[in-house]
Amino acid sequence: MAEAAKPARKKIVRATMIVAVLLAAWHIFASFLWIAPPSPLRQVVPGTALTNYMIPFFGQSWSVFAPEPINGDYTLLVRAKVDKDGKQETTDWVNATKVEISMIHYNLFPPRAGIQSTELASEFKGNWDALTADHKVIVKLGYFNGTDWRNRLDAKLKSYPSANLVPAYMGSEYMITAYSTQVAKAVWGDKVSQVQFQVYRQNVTPFENRNTPGQEPQPKQIADVGWRGLITAPGQSDEDFSSVFKAAYDRLQK
Amino acid sequence: MTTSKTERPEKSTAKKPANVAPAKVSQQPESASAAGNGFSEGLGNLFRGLGLFIASLWKQFFGVIGKVLKQGYDFVESWLLDGKKSLYGLAMTRIVLGITGFGLLFFNFNTRLYSFGAGAAWNLEAMVAKSDFPKIWIFSLFHDVMLNDSVYTLCYLLLMAVAVLFTIGWRFKFVLPVYFVLWVSFIEANDMLGDQGDNMYRIALIFLFFADPAARISLDWRRRRKYQAKPETAWIVRKWKGEPLFDAQIGSLFHNLALVVLTAQVCFVYVSGALYKAGGKPWQNGWAIYSPLSTDRFGTWPALSDLFTFWGPVVVAISWGSIIIQMCFPLMLLTRPTRIVALLAIMSFHVGIAVLMGLPWFSLTMIAIDFIFIRDRTWKSIGARIRDSFRKSMLRARSKEPLEGEADEVGNADEASVDTATEPNAEKPTAEKATAPKAAKDKPKVTVQDASS
Repeated sequence: MAEAAKPARKKIVRATMIVAVLLAAWHIFASFLWIAPPSPLRQVVPGTALTNYMIPFFGQSWSVFAPEPINGDYTLLVRAKVDKDGKQETTDWVNATKVEISMIHYNLFPPRAGIQSTELASEFKGNWDALTADHKVIVKLGYFNGTDWRNRLDAKLKSYPSANLVPAYMGSEYMITAYSTQVAKAVWGDKVSQVQFQVYRQNVTPFENRNTPGQEPQPKQIADVGWRGLITAPGQSDEDFSSVFKAAYDRLQK
Repeated sequence: MTTSKTERPEKSTAKKPANVAPAKVSQQPESASAAGNGFSEGLGNLFRGLGLFIASLWKQFFGVIGKVLKQGYDFVESWLLDGKKSLYGLAMTRIVLGITGFGLLFFNFNTRLYSFGAGAAWNLEAMVAKSDFPKIWIFSLFHDVMLNDSVYTLCYLLLMAVAVLFTIGWRFKFVLPVYFVLWVSFIEANDMLGDQGDNMYRIALIFLFFADPAARISLDWRRRRKYQAKPETAWIVRKWKGEPLFDAQIGSLFHNLALVVLTAQVCFVYVSGALYKAGGKPWQNGWAIYSPLSTDRFGTWPALSDLFTFWGPVVVAISWGSIIIQMCFPLMLLTRPTRIVALLAIMSFHVGIAVLMGLPWFSLTMIAIDFIFIRDRTWKSIGARIRDSFRKSMLRARSKEPLEGEADEVGNADEASVDTATEPNAEKPTAEKATAPKAAKDKPKVTVQDASS
């Protein structure tokens, strides 16, 4: 190569080259260790040096759909108790996930808004599954009276063994209750006094039965949760939520 | 290269007599006088010969190793320092990444407050950020304003505008850092709705800091071409008007290393993806893509999902095919025919993910990066073709001629008859050949030259 005029190299260029090549080599090696399935090779980088280098800027994970791809749907249903002429009426269930998913189905450029309730339900189901049988009994009870209902629920759950599971659960229950409150207000207005949500997972039809007509849907794996008081997170805008959710809900009713 | 070649033999011949030969020469008379018979002398000669032989093999061996190392070093040095590689490919990466960013913002605009702003305060991101980035002050803008509808919208629009500047390559060296900070701030303010495409996008942007992705197909390119060095102008003015910031070799060095790092990143992503998948039963059995396509979340076109999963062999072909193409991607890049196959396969893989699974921005990010593997020559000829047919169509539109013989022209873009407009009787190939050069031949020629200059 380049038999004729070979460009002159300044010393500074050569020195820069050596440093830059070494840095690039380190980055490639670190990325390799980070991206490849975890192996004892990671021991060549001492301590937490690899994590410190990669996180946050090069954080990534490529075990997407592996080893087994997702094979079920998470669904979030919401209903409410609404004050009507001094009496409390229980509404029908609204499938919030179906409402949001309608934004992304048959849409070449789906908005991220369409996957919120799915993500929320999936996270909640994970934390609920982790609870003990005793906890699940308590969670199924209604907690909605007064302003301290969350504290009472929290204390009751922590009175059973494995109290360490409670904070994660209570965190995701907060989010899903706050979301359900928004759904209830969007659909039934401000007269809502209590909400109840139900989360379930339902597997897809097994591959071998996919073309068999009249297939029974797979059983719903339901997380049972009792009635809850309303939660409005600090800074929450009911208007920003309902304008989008209600529009999609109304479209679906037609 | 030539100078070093001549130097090397001189050095080694100078060494040879000093080290090896004199030692043997001094031994020879000694041993001959001591034994004094032919046999031992012959034996001595044999050993001496063998010794010389081994020494020369040894020297040649190291000579060859040394030469190979030297050639390797020279090649690497020249590859890194003498000119920027894949300028058009990387420019296309920039453009598609820019379109991806703008597109994501555009198609989330109507629901921005619902999913990223005050309508989503229920997710508590505004109180305690889940990602690391909002905790770094420079990346905290969108997190800090998410509860204020009008300020959030302003920042959102600003980011969209910067995405446009990024795409068209205007003052790229300044726009990229701004875009990077704003983009990461925006996308990381809501952890729950992110996907791996966001990570890949951020990482690619970091690599672009070191490269020169606005060197082609950009406004910067146009300015740099117009720029003529006038040494008397002030340094800052020259830089602003388009003089390269660094010494050319240093600029090439960073640019080419960025390409190397980006290539490694992409290869690792694909191969590790394949390895992770190969460990799972549904992938081994070949029906893995059925499950996600049958969910509501990742089967965003249920009718298409049914179509693609109805016949078992198709399901297996796609499932196994995606593992194989991901696994083989780096090796297939090495030769041109396999590279073409690899790129076509991986692009259809991404188009499939984009459409069937509702992940267009993830896919576009990956496609943008894969564009670095398409040669500049190919990009140039694509560009020339597009410009050519655009000019021809414009010419024809001006002369109000109906679009006829369109199919013929696609085949021979260079010779194509712009003058069917001026020569209505150009149906016969002979007539066309005869008349074409006169009126129109120089036009397409100019476009070809433009493209290659």
